[in-house]
Amino acid sequence: MKPAAGAFLGGAASRLLPASIPFRFFGSAVVFQGLAWLALMAGADGLPRFVGGLGWPLAGLHLITLGVLVMSAIGASLQLLPVATRQPVRSTFLPLAIWWLYTPGVAAVAAGMGLGMPALLAAGAVAVLLALLMVAALLARNLLGARGMTAVVAHGWAALACLGVVLTTALSMALAYVGAAGEIGVPLLDRTSALPWHLAFAGYGFMGLLALGLSYILVPMFALSAAPDERQALHSLGLAIAALLLAAAAALDAGAALGSGVPWLRLLACALGLAAVALHLVLMFRSLRSGMRRELGGSFILVRFAWACLPASLLAAAAITLGSRWPALPTLFGLLLIGGWLLGFLLGILQRILPFLASMHVARGSKRPPTPGSLTDERALAVHRLCHFAALAGLALAIVAESGALAALAAGIGAVGAAAFARFYFKLRRRMAAAAPRADGARELA
Amino acid sequence: MSFTRQVSQTLDTEHRSNLALLGRLEKALARAPRSGGGQDTEFARLAVEFGRQLEQDVTRHFDFEEQQLFTRLADAGEGDIAELLKDEHDAIREVAAEILPLVRAAAESALDDAGFERLRLGAFEMIERQVAHIQKETMGLLPMLDDLLDDETDRELAFAYAS
Repeated sequence: MKPAAGAFLGGAASRLLPASIPFRFFGSAVVFQGLAWLALMAGADGLPRFVGGLGWPLAGLHLITLGVLVMSAIGASLQLLPVATRQPVRSTFLPLAIWWLYTPGVAAVAAGMGLGMPALLAAGAVAVLLALLMVAALLARNLLGARGMTAVVAHGWAALACLGVVLTTALSMALAYVGAAGEIGVPLLDRTSALPWHLAFAGYGFMGLLALGLSYILVPMFALSAAPDERQALHSLGLAIAALLLAAAAALDAGAALGSGVPWLRLLACALGLAAVALHLVLMFRSLRSGMRRELGGSFILVRFAWACLPASLLAAAAITLGSRWPALPTLFGLLLIGGWLLGFLLGILQRILPFLASMHVARGSKRPPTPGSLTDERALAVHRLCHFAALAGLALAIVAESGALAALAAGIGAVGAAAFARFYFKLRRRMAAAAPRADGARELA
Repeated sequence: MSFTRQVSQTLDTEHRSNLALLGRLEKALARAPRSGGGQDTEFARLAVEFGRQLEQDVTRHFDFEEQQLFTRLADAGEGDIAELLKDEHDAIREVAAEILPLVRAAAESALDDAGFERLRLGAFEMIERQVAHIQKETMGLLPMLDDLLDDETDRELAFAYAS
């Protein structure tokens, strides 16, 4: 039996989609990252106490979640999962259709939120919903045909189930906005239930479980170590699923306080979530410690920081559950979960995986393909890292001090970082094209 | 990472010592001054080791894998992986041929600054290619050998490689 990363590396070359497909998703994510910081800058006044509601902070949040995180996750799952689960490349039509539907959909959702136009928001939400249903169908087909990698595949199925909850709650909330504006539509779920479900199942469920699952392939591959213990990875997943189910039950107030006034279900959900994360991190650090390659470069500074933010976000959630009266805490929780954990982890991994994928594409039919390092603008990445950390620290300070001006400054620094990341990405594409003018090895795709 | 076959264990040991050498080289190149690095006696000692690795180990190790292992891999229906690894060998040999004269000059502390800069670029390329290649072999080729070789073939190949 080949270890996970072995199968991944061995089969990768023959199971690549045309480069233009995954890279259009990654390119869009790069652009949306810049727009997200600009939206946060535009909504800086309301950002320090933001807990929801139409406006530019909500637009910025969804430009990050839908535009950067989910966009990249679609690109990665379209390319990495078939390779990891040893499946042939299938039709390229569906991925292209997803991109054409999803990208303007995200733009419309963000514009609708930012400009306070529920009709535009609803139209965008329908496009995003349809695109994500197609993503779910593709993901399910890949998982059904998967061979080996039980833990990765199980994380994939769990993430897919969470996506169903995310889409239902998102549609419900979008319809609520339309209804409130006197237009058609009624919510499917009460907002007080829909919002916590949406938050938990999007952040920790769909995106979180995809990130944890793909880590079991990517981290050992980078560190040159054996695949983590599959049984323990499944235990971690089981704990995470139990945590999500408890959080969902708590949001419905199904005996949440068990008559005692203490939110036991929510607390138990946080505790199980922390246990799941602790086990996952033990497996990750064991993998790094036993790896033959210790020097993992700057990208892993972001990854390690993201790993620290994940349990911190759960501790913040527990503090909120226990009734902390600190008004900054709910927004800080969002910052830790979205900016610290998910965005940090994704950008760290993208810095490694994009040059790797690019060199695999260029390698086709080339005797001495460029190395991933030669395709990477390290200086741009260093600037991005610096700005990313400064922006997050600035936002945290702005939230604590309730300062719109500080939030605007932090978002501006984030935008500079996003521009540096865009420089890294577009330089990579230019170098890729220069190394192999016909790197796709296939017809150009619209 | 542990392997059951003698051949896998031997190749893994060589990979590990190779990675250790490449790690030391990477650090030394990152630390080396822009001027005078090619005349540094400490770097010269490392260049001697690196040169030996390029001249002997790479050739012997690669030839053995191509003649004895990749063919078996292809016969077992894993021709894609064998072809990918062979292409990487070719690229590494090409880089080795380019930098070997520079490495020899550095080993004698007789490399000028322009030559040292060329060596730095070439060595970084070599490090990246070798690390990526060892990554693929450690996670793809060596575990497969555990299934592919029987006890007798394993013994014969290990003996042939050692002699």
